[in-house]
Amino acid sequence: MTRLLAAAGILVLVSAPLLTGNPFFQHLMIMVLFWTLLGASWNLLGGFAGQVSFGHAVFLGIGAYVTMLSYLSLGLSPFLGMLAGGAIGAMFAVPIGLICFRLRGPYFSLATLAVAEIVRLVALNWEQLTAGPMGLLITQLPPLSFAGATVDWESKIPFYYLAAALALSAMGLTHAVSRSRLGAYLTAVREDIDSAEAVGIDTVRARVTALALSAFIVGLAGGFYSLYFRYVDPDAVFAISLSVEMIFIAVVGGLATTAGPIVGAVVLVTIAEFFRDRFQAGHLIFYGLFMMLVIRYLPEGIWGGLRRLLAARA
Amino acid sequence: MALLEVHGLRKVFGGLHAVSDLSFALHRGEVLGLIGPNGAGKTTVFNLITGFLAPTAGRVSLEGENLIGLKPHAVVKKGIARTFQVVKPFRNLTALENVTLAAFLHERSRPKAEARARRMLERVQLGERRGAEAVDLTLSEQKRLEIARALATDPKILFLDEPMSGLNPTEVEAGCELVRQIRQDGITVILVEHHMRAIMRISDRIIVLHHGEKIADGAPQDVVQDRGVIAAYLGERAV
Repeated sequence: MTRLLAAAGILVLVSAPLLTGNPFFQHLMIMVLFWTLLGASWNLLGGFAGQVSFGHAVFLGIGAYVTMLSYLSLGLSPFLGMLAGGAIGAMFAVPIGLICFRLRGPYFSLATLAVAEIVRLVALNWEQLTAGPMGLLITQLPPLSFAGATVDWESKIPFYYLAAALALSAMGLTHAVSRSRLGAYLTAVREDIDSAEAVGIDTVRARVTALALSAFIVGLAGGFYSLYFRYVDPDAVFAISLSVEMIFIAVVGGLATTAGPIVGAVVLVTIAEFFRDRFQAGHLIFYGLFMMLVIRYLPEGIWGGLRRLLAARA
Repeated sequence: MALLEVHGLRKVFGGLHAVSDLSFALHRGEVLGLIGPNGAGKTTVFNLITGFLAPTAGRVSLEGENLIGLKPHAVVKKGIARTFQVVKPFRNLTALENVTLAAFLHERSRPKAEARARRMLERVQLGERRGAEAVDLTLSEQKRLEIARALATDPKILFLDEPMSGLNPTEVEAGCELVRQIRQDGITVILVEHHMRAIMRISDRIIVLHHGEKIADGAPQDVVQDRGVIAAYLGERAV
């Protein structure tokens, strides 16, 4: 059943761009995949291990800037840059984790928020490196030769497939972690940290590992962001709103589930666009209302609730 | 050589001396009871030895190896497992999953860890309940679950923090039997308990703490006759 669903999902993902030539819809689909990627990586730490980070934008920003700078200053291929962005994001995650995981519950969340703000302010003021609030711009992306074909990045289609590949890998990784021993340790951490320690689980190590994995994916997503929009500035990629949005996607979709983030991303991105179109800034009211309804009536998220219904019927 | 040696253990919280200069030895195969009025520092002693709290001063060694400064998970690996006074099961996981998590300490593969967990659940008579979520177990079952979880880490010493509290007389009886069996399996036990009848019966030796200080250490029948102990529990006039 799950495998069938996964196969159908992949088929839809691969064929979706063939259905529409409309760039707006293509952009919408790319955004859904981008947010799936972020939701899935946040879920790894926030859902499975129950460690609610309010500062994941820090890894998005690091990934975006590393990709941009390695291309603009070092001439590195932007796609290698994207990987470097993920890797450096994960490297930053280790000291951040070692400091923030000394705290528990809401104190941990506030610490991550503080870290993200500190890094945003550094990026804003370290003008030699980041060009400060001016931001960085890529005017043209080098074409990518791949198996005899050349991808020129002028249409949205290659970005769509790149985003789809990233989102699928992130979901695959979450699934693998959920079945591994690390996944079991993270569940123990979520349920009770003291008990987890009492049965011999190195909870700091488990949490830092989850954070680093999560940061790696968010860093990749940041790299993708910088290539897709070709422009980054600190307020765009280190924004608190990004961190919060990731939480929404994971919570609405279903915490600690593999498929939840894609469900959350489809629903939230669509709702946001639909209402933005009609009510401009007022759309946030509907967005907020929707969030309240989900939290009240579907505390396990849309996918989590659905899964329970299916299990109850079976 | 004693299995566990505690020397000059001290813990100060702000101005409060929760544990003052406590020394004792735990011998292999023994059941040691730790008693004392509320606030005497019994649970603090457990937390200090198991790594949940860092002592202000003192030495703790297991078979000659220092334990001070180790995190709780490292202390477990050395061979000291514990239960909690207020039970802390992994609430939304089944009994089997609860114990499997502990079994991972020695069994890397999930099937082996689960097989070990099943054996531990049988050992505490929870085999039938392995599919139930921890929240749905009775208090007595949750206490047994914690013992199974601790046993799954293959400890040399088991620290039980009030295993009998909140249990009915039948359950207390079964609890005493379980402690006896654990001891027969070669595991040394140290327990904190307020249930006097139970602790008198199952302990080989009893240490009495009062205001963080050891006021008696000896066989159960001698300790209950001790004037200092009676004074600590009932007041000077009762002596």
